[in-house]
Amino acid sequence: MRALTYQGPYRVQVEEKPDPRIEHPQDVVLKVTRAAICGSDLHLLHGLVPDTRVGCTFGHEFTGVVEEVGKEVSQLKKGDRVVVPFNISCGTCFYCQRGLTGNCENSNPGSDVASGVYGYSHTTGGFDGGQAEYVRVPFADVGPMKIPDDMDDESVLFLSDILPTGYQAAEMGEIKGGETVVVFGAGPVGLFAMKSAWLMGAGRVVAVDHVPYRLEFARKFANVETVNFKEVGDIVLHLKELFEGRGPDVCIDAVGMEAEGSRAHRVLGLGLKLEAGAPTVIEWCINTVRKGGNVSIIGVYGPPWNFVPIGTAMNKGLTLRMNQANTRRYMPHLLEHIQKGRIDAKGVITHRFPLEQAPDAYHLFAQKRDGCVKCVLMPHGHA
Amino acid sequence: MPQKTTQRSSRAKNGRAKTRAKANPTLAVDLDPANRPGVPMETAPKPLAGARVPIAHQHAEVPVFKHAGRKEMPPVFGTAQPPKGLSGLLRKAAYAKPDHKPGHWMLLLLADRVDVWEHRLRRSLPWAAPSAAAFLAGGLMWRARSA
Repeated sequence: MRALTYQGPYRVQVEEKPDPRIEHPQDVVLKVTRAAICGSDLHLLHGLVPDTRVGCTFGHEFTGVVEEVGKEVSQLKKGDRVVVPFNISCGTCFYCQRGLTGNCENSNPGSDVASGVYGYSHTTGGFDGGQAEYVRVPFADVGPMKIPDDMDDESVLFLSDILPTGYQAAEMGEIKGGETVVVFGAGPVGLFAMKSAWLMGAGRVVAVDHVPYRLEFARKFANVETVNFKEVGDIVLHLKELFEGRGPDVCIDAVGMEAEGSRAHRVLGLGLKLEAGAPTVIEWCINTVRKGGNVSIIGVYGPPWNFVPIGTAMNKGLTLRMNQANTRRYMPHLLEHIQKGRIDAKGVITHRFPLEQAPDAYHLFAQKRDGCVKCVLMPHGHA
Repeated sequence: MPQKTTQRSSRAKNGRAKTRAKANPTLAVDLDPANRPGVPMETAPKPLAGARVPIAHQHAEVPVFKHAGRKEMPPVFGTAQPPKGLSGLLRKAAYAKPDHKPGHWMLLLLADRVDVWEHRLRRSLPWAAPSAAAFLAGGLMWRARSA
């Protein structure tokens, strides 16, 4: 089959590789119909995630058609259209039983920091991802959700990751009605966090980024106020001033380890690798949010450590909440929001590419050119 | 309900939050935490729909590492890109350490860089080896003629 493969930092290519096969009786093999490029795939592309091996196929947001079924799979049959959560979850372990499918302990031998994830290095289990013609999907009766017949794949594609991730980010902010919310990052996850904050009754939502077209997109798509942090002197003081000098009730980090905004963190984390990426936005969240407020972290950070002002968080009495999204539990609820027109999930798609042009898509997305918000690959064309 | 920061007149771009909020028909649909799938984040234990026990154990036909902090292999794992070469040895050493040790992650990052160079070397061999041989032969011939 044809698949995108990692060739080293900043280099990916599409090449021939062996078809995936059933390796466990609860597996299925999917023919991939749509595969999105996630912001967190850029951390892999840039060589920031440990144990990203040359030849790895990225892609943890995809839909597909069941092509081959393992002998213990009972809920799916050949030809079913499904959307697949990015976490690989057994459904029976200590964590899955408690709803924490993003922390499943039965799918990742490489590390206890996360469950298995498709196409996200051997640190998350060593599974190939969906930016390919075919992909192996373990625990097929637990994770994948059938796509309703009257819905197209792109309408539900983002139930695989960014929509539940954004929703969980807002949920972890513990919005009870009327709160002021600042979302750092106007990328796809940030956009859905903003939408979700409104769904939960936020009183005011402000997006912070430095890319003008993304802020413009956020104003239109999520109906929020915006601040370009490169246009204000000190973003923390600016945001505090916007909220009576105290700061907002909730701050959401939807950026993660490659944040702009601090030369020191970029040199230490991205250049010298003395910390796991640049935790600039965590620092801003802690310093910006009002005392007793909530900080919700959904941007991706890696082990082993980051320099963050934990003392400030303690002294301000903050609640810090974070986790990988427990995607599966959100899928039915958010599907209903899409069906009822409350969320236009595919409205964030700005570019579509055939699989062969995936490297161009990566570079366009990484360099934020041509108004790119979200790229979707079509491994089998428009079908 | 906790005290909220009150709204004030200072606005960012696209301001006037209250007007905007009124115009937003989806506002507060999930205001009730009971409508939120992730509240509470940790639920009473119950197997997920479709889950099957016991889970059969996958058999690996290629080497797959588990980190030293883990007692046994999980029933399911990925088998993509098995370890090989010097990078494989470095990864083996990394996984011999539990994942809470910084050395585990530092060795993996080192192995990643070695992996890239191994692949570049392997890819360049088909043209680099004949080129080097031709260069060597040319040099020897030149020395023989000048002698």
